[in-house]
Amino acid sequence: MPGREEGRRNLSEAAPRRVITAVAMSGILVMVFILLFLMKEGMPILRDASITELAAGRLWYPVSSPPLFGMMPLIAGSMAVTLVSSVLAIPFGVALALFLTEICPKRISGFFKITLEILGFLPSVVLGFIGMTVIAPYLQVRLELLSGLNLMNASMLLGVMILPTVATLSEESLHAVPQSQRDASYALGATRCETMFKVVLPGASRGIAQAAILGVMRSLGETMVVLMASGGAALLPESVFDPVRPLTSAVAAEMGETSVGSGHYHALFFMGCILLLFTLVLNVLVIKIESRREAN
Amino acid sequence: MSQAKLTVESLSLSYSRGDPPALRDVTLDIEENSLMAFIGPSGCGKSTFLRCLNRMNDFVRGVEITGRVLLDGRDVYAPDVDVTSLRRRVGMVFQRPNPFPFSIRENVAYGPKLLGERDRGRLGEIVERSLRNSGLWEEVKDRLDAQASSLSGGQQQRLCIARAIAVEPEVLLMDEPTSALDPMATARIEELARELKKIYTVVIVTHNMQQAARVSDHTAFFLMGELVEHGPTTKIFTTPQDKRTEDYITGRFG
Repeated sequence: MPGREEGRRNLSEAAPRRVITAVAMSGILVMVFILLFLMKEGMPILRDASITELAAGRLWYPVSSPPLFGMMPLIAGSMAVTLVSSVLAIPFGVALALFLTEICPKRISGFFKITLEILGFLPSVVLGFIGMTVIAPYLQVRLELLSGLNLMNASMLLGVMILPTVATLSEESLHAVPQSQRDASYALGATRCETMFKVVLPGASRGIAQAAILGVMRSLGETMVVLMASGGAALLPESVFDPVRPLTSAVAAEMGETSVGSGHYHALFFMGCILLLFTLVLNVLVIKIESRREAN
Repeated sequence: MSQAKLTVESLSLSYSRGDPPALRDVTLDIEENSLMAFIGPSGCGKSTFLRCLNRMNDFVRGVEITGRVLLDGRDVYAPDVDVTSLRRRVGMVFQRPNPFPFSIRENVAYGPKLLGERDRGRLGEIVERSLRNSGLWEEVKDRLDAQASSLSGGQQQRLCIARAIAVEPEVLLMDEPTSALDPMATARIEELARELKKIYTVVIVTHNMQQAARVSDHTAFFLMGELVEHGPTTKIFTTPQDKRTEDYITGRFG
């Protein structure tokens, strides 16, 4: 009975497809739900304060009366730690990747790569702990600061945290540059150095840009390290040794102390929306780079 | 017989100590402004030998080379030789087209820029001349800033030839330059090789005996790391001296 056999085959073909579709859809549904929830809880703050007051206000006193919801110091704090940590980690990570692919012998590079991966697994709370007990006292004594918990401290830790991401992903894209292109360069009389900077690095530039953006994204979203090591003062930083209070650490520190439905509560959710917006922009950038790479 | 551009004296090479040598005591002269073909079955050492001529084997770890390679009478393996300037004099085209992920213009200008040429006008002239000499100019003159990867395989290989001749080498080594190309593109490269030998000394490695017969003035037959026989192409293909050469060119093995 070919008809029945065919029916069974169609069923066995269709069933897994439906299951996979259902699982995938539920994943998307959860994401959409989280997004809607964040908006629903964040937007009501606009009844208490205008967008300008939120974004440009310099005073964050959410529990005074009347409360002041100026988020500029927090936004600046987030941007500052992200910027400083990226400036520290990205050149370092790219240099490390170049060293691993182009300079150091294969046997040693394997050892380095494993070390990097382990560094990537390091729980951020451990880094925060090191920041509090090692870096903070050191900075405080050597630079005669009021507190060693500051923008620099948090940025250094974030730099260490994102270094494996930047280095590993850069290494992958450097590695993907075909050996034949290196050979072509050497055959034209280029030195190792010239080949590295004029062929390999440009060939991997898009992948490296993506690695850098992913590092920036991790830095921006990281909470525990900044909560422990950034000092927590909601001030506009004037130097890299000033304490800051990034958005993530403000949400983590204050959410437990607010009453549900208060202005403060909505303000913290609004910060979540801001963070989401930032990462969304960075994500779009990554996708843009990817599609340009495919076009070539 | 015109003067030898390259003279190879009892060259041997092994990839690591204790291994049987990949090349055994090869001695060969390559005439100036001639086209020489290296033929032989896969793994016979013809590509390895070619890579000895511009020291591309230097990158292979543990490689051991003995003997001499003289370019205009000077040993290219002498300790005072600058490898980068040797490679500028002895250019190379590879088995598969390997353009850089740059524009057509930047690919050709890469070598001259390494040599310190910064003047845009001069670079433009070099790009045009090199592309004309590689027979690609008419096809790409209106899109020099397009990515090299947008070209067809045959065009890419001619771009690689243009890139190699942009630094005005004296010798051009071609390592199976048509093995990844279709017959039409192959014919163009062969025609080009015959043109190029007027300006340069050309050495072409090929697994394709008909190709050697079509394009070359001289042919060298390699087998298992040994140079079995070499001489004028017509002679090698009509009256080979060695039984193994005869067996190979008549298709008895290979």
